[in-house]
Amino acid sequence: MYKDTLVQINIIVNPATKSWLLLVLLSVIAIYLPEAIDNRCIYIISVLIIVVIKGQQIVDVFMELNTAPRFWRLIFLSYIVLLPIIITAIYLM
Amino acid sequence: MLPEYTSISYPANFMSNSSIALVHQDRVFPDKKLPGDLAMWFFILAELTVFALFFIGFAVSEQLNETMFSQGKAQLHQMSGLINTIALITSSFFVALALTAMHKAQAKKAVLLLLTAKVFALIYISVKVWEYLSLFKQGITIETNTFFTLYFLITAFHLMHVLLGMVILAFLAYSAWHDKYLNNDLSGFEAGTSYWHMVDLLWIILFPLIYVI
Repeated sequence: MYKDTLVQINIIVNPATKSWLLLVLLSVIAIYLPEAIDNRCIYIISVLIIVVIKGQQIVDVFMELNTAPRFWRLIFLSYIVLLPIIITAIYLM
Repeated sequence: MLPEYTSISYPANFMSNSSIALVHQDRVFPDKKLPGDLAMWFFILAELTVFALFFIGFAVSEQLNETMFSQGKAQLHQMSGLINTIALITSSFFVALALTAMHKAQAKKAVLLLLTAKVFALIYISVKVWEYLSLFKQGITIETNTFFTLYFLITAFHLMHVLLGMVILAFLAYSAWHDKYLNNDLSGFEAGTSYWHMVDLLWIILFPLIYVI
């Protein structure tokens, strides 16, 4: 009984569980954003900010790069930040 | 003032390849180590670069053919894209839990988690095949227009990566079941899980770009 409770608590506080919940929530929010935001420019920026947050969660928590050498973490974080910035710039041109 | 770090010893099975950790307040930082094999990370970087070119090409084409792309996006089933997003995220989540289980030397539990991850990957594949078939029924193919050429090319290329990832997950599950990851050497397992997370990472950029924006 005590062990089962500990296992349940372990799953709930697991960083991967928190990330999964955040990722699902942000995915649902992203798809309903057009109904909430009329301005296309703000809408595109909002969607791509969500992409950056989701990417950071996958890189740091799922890929465990938050415990990797800084060089590798920076390369992957740069990718998930720079690519949405480039895409945003193309759409807003 | 510099933070106070103390170096303490842990049992060998505390974390893979880590017997010393730095402790600061309540947080424990194991020795900084790249998970998996270096070669796999270079391979992942190469894959990400190829997809980045696809994504940028798609965005530029959309700017050149705004009407065609907005009409094309309207013909896509947005909810199937959302279902696939949640399926891949959930699959990645179970793969992350499987790696945690392997760190705790719970190989059989890890196999179960990997199989669960594969079930969600199968949901992704089923929805994607259904989506393709429903487009074909409407007479839409890769040759319809530039939007659908890019749509089929990018999503099918991603689907191929999902299929390869499923083969890798099957191999990891088989190896873990037969206790191939002994002596805390999880580099092969970590490399395989990293590949799967890359597939997820690509989809979270692909989904808003093709379906949402």
